Amino acid sequence: MSGALADVRVIDATGPIGHYAGRLLADLGADVIKVEPPGGDPARLYRPALPDVAAPEAGLQFLLLNANKRGAVLDLDDDRGRSALLRLAAGADVVLESWRPQEARRLRLTDAELREVNPALIHTSVTGFGLSGPHAEWAYADIVGVAMSGVMNLAGFPDGPPESLPDHQGYHCASLDAAAGTLTALLHRDLGGPGQLVEVSMQEALSIAQETALQNYDIRDALLRRLGEASQVNPMNLPGFGLYECREGMVYIMTTGTAGAGFAGLVEMMDEHGQAGDLKEEPSWSFIQTQMDGANLRRLLTDEESQAETQRFLDHLEELVTAFMRAHPARYIYEEGQRRRVLVGLIATPADISADPHLAAREWFIELEDASRGKTLRYPGFPFRLQETPATLRRPAPLLGEHTSEVLAEAGLDAGEIAALEVTA
Amino acid sequence: MTGTSATESPLAGVKVLDLSWFGAGPIAGRALAAAGADVIKVETVKRIDGLRAMAPRPRGARGYNLSGYFNNYNANKRSVTIDLTTERGHELGLVLIRWADVMLTNMTNRAVKQVGMGWETVSRENPRLVAVYMPMMGTTGPHRDFQGFGAMLTAICGMNYLAGFAENRPVGVGTNYPDYVVNPMHAYIATLAALRHARRTGEGQMIDVSQDESSVAAMSLPLFAHDNGGGAYLRAGNRVPYAAPHGAYRTQDTPDRSDRWVALACLDEEHWRTLAAGICGHPEWTDDARFSTLASRLSNQDSLDRLIADWAAGQQGAEVVRRLQLAGIPAGLVQDAREMLEDPHIGERGYFVQLDHAEAGLRWYDGPGWRMTESPVSLDRAAPMLGEHTFDVALDLLGLSADEIADLVAEGVLQ
Repeated sequence: MSGALADVRVIDATGPIGHYAGRLLADLGADVIKVEPPGGDPARLYRPALPDVAAPEAGLQFLLLNANKRGAVLDLDDDRGRSALLRLAAGADVVLESWRPQEARRLRLTDAELREVNPALIHTSVTGFGLSGPHAEWAYADIVGVAMSGVMNLAGFPDGPPESLPDHQGYHCASLDAAAGTLTALLHRDLGGPGQLVEVSMQEALSIAQETALQNYDIRDALLRRLGEASQVNPMNLPGFGLYECREGMVYIMTTGTAGAGFAGLVEMMDEHGQAGDLKEEPSWSFIQTQMDGANLRRLLTDEESQAETQRFLDHLEELVTAFMRAHPARYIYEEGQRRRVLVGLIATPADISADPHLAAREWFIELEDASRGKTLRYPGFPFRLQETPATLRRPAPLLGEHTSEVLAEAGLDAGEIAALEVTA
Repeated sequence: MTGTSATESPLAGVKVLDLSWFGAGPIAGRALAAAGADVIKVETVKRIDGLRAMAPRPRGARGYNLSGYFNNYNANKRSVTIDLTTERGHELGLVLIRWADVMLTNMTNRAVKQVGMGWETVSRENPRLVAVYMPMMGTTGPHRDFQGFGAMLTAICGMNYLAGFAENRPVGVGTNYPDYVVNPMHAYIATLAALRHARRTGEGQMIDVSQDESSVAAMSLPLFAHDNGGGAYLRAGNRVPYAAPHGAYRTQDTPDRSDRWVALACLDEEHWRTLAAGICGHPEWTDDARFSTLASRLSNQDSLDRLIADWAAGQQGAEVVRRLQLAGIPAGLVQDAREMLEDPHIGERGYFVQLDHAEAGLRWYDGPGWRMTESPVSLDRAAPMLGEHTFDVALDLLGLSADEIADLVAEGVLQ
């Protein structure tokens, strides 16, 4: 075994909100045992699914976020299942779970009960709203966390609904903080610190992703809301800033700032294609080279004397930039623009990312055989590269109950006890 | 590092040289600082953290110490101004490299080279060092010098393409989203793993957090599906492929709040039956062939959403959420920043913290992303003013005398 956490054992009894936390610890080398209820984790049945593989082994969200884990099925509502979990907890460094307080009490698996069998345990709880406060028992889903945190209020068009974020960002943020908190407690314990409870609320984990909404209210009494095309990032909808349609695909560009080659860099690129119009002529060129930062433009656009003329000039720029973008493929604008230090990003589709030459050169994707499902799956790579203790992908997600007897035997249960538990499950 | 007691911060004794700026790097440093690490942020007057110059600041106010954007991400740190591009400044930077357990930067590869803080240099000075580099596209590969901000990362990582409703353009999610949790926390997690290895073996290492890879990792289900025959993900607004109804529905305007939306999710059949019969008062919906199973609801989401939207339009938002939650259905208001700050639940838990800053005054900050029962994780010092700790650090850590410091200030090496 390798990895910085190779000596760490984690019992992961979370639902979908915590899957990514367990996966991150497993990637770093921990032995993570996913504990599921008899019917399996709900995400096993979520679409999209692997083709030609029967439920409950095909759900791709489950497969992705539970790779690198072993799997055991335990009926925690049954006394024997509960005792088995406590046996696993007694031999573990970390128990990761997502029960609301009442649920933990009903299961008789509260922090105190877990700690009784293992005082040194790091017990990480990750739920929608945390373990205290008037909403501690509230039912949660990813979209509910994004809504209540203030993040959803910032996404979308002014005349349309607020928008949640794709691919479970509420769950991901909660899981990231859960993994981070777990490691923090572990490093403390390594030096003689205590076992303890680490607690994560999805609503709180997302809050910092409100960007400056809290500070705008606190400092300026201003409430930000969704702005569509303009967005908080570019509230004045300046030219050369935002989304542009290209001959194939689209790009997001940020040239009205001080970073990179700026708007002038974009004009140089347009000029090389004979598409800069009169922008290289004076006084336009001097203005472009010295005046095109957001703060300055804001000043010119709010000053009555310069307002109309500035707006006319910006409209002219917008027209030329739009025409230039439409004439070239998005990937060309992205790669050629970036080579010139123009801040531009491709609006990437999953297909674009899958075939991205940079990710390919960095050998980011990982292929791993999944013998039980009769497939070799292509996995997205890791979010970080540790030179000496790299993350590794060692096994596909477990089949339902695949390692139940194995992990129970390791925990010291005899064959009879294990057989009884498998019947219960 | 010596043994710690239960009341100490979990990362007490960990020393961090924070050479990062803007969002993703500083927030990783802030998390280390909240857990008790001693984090020294180095800036130069030539090149300050760009967020210092950004809004929001009090109306009419100017200066580099007032930005709420900057201050939120730099609480609990010390600020030192050293011009690392000068020979003497670089030498002092290397003294801090030898002092540190962790070096953190999200500068571009070019900028890292300019300040002479590449892995070869810093590892030679301090073989135990954990050095975290977070350039946008990583430290290697053909696009290694591509650069940008979070709003560009949302494009590159596939978030723009998939966020929002099909009829609108893929403008993104309104913020520099990956900067705030995804990229800093991936960096934090990698840092702690490497720090653990360094404590055990004495061996430091380089960590390459490509913010591109980190952001895609948090957007990877559509990619995983694409690559393994799971079909194409499409822009689906607030819908998910495994639950319906699932979305945000507008409720009645009230005198104090228009644009009131309720988010709800029926994650199982019981949620749906309870919503239809118990909450909306339409038990017949569950018998309707269009809505009787999850598969049929997923195929008829337009009609389903219209029913829910029409019903919600006559309801009062907070009251609906109360009833839905009493019935066990995941639901919540789409809150704005004021409602989030004044949320009684958040308030009782004390998530936001108020910190006093000599220039910016008493301001609200985001609290730590997690809590620990035995060892405190907390933010208790407001963000530092530019160079606030230069003198102290020069005296205590760099071993300079007051005269030497004065000379270096005159030369522009220290500011």
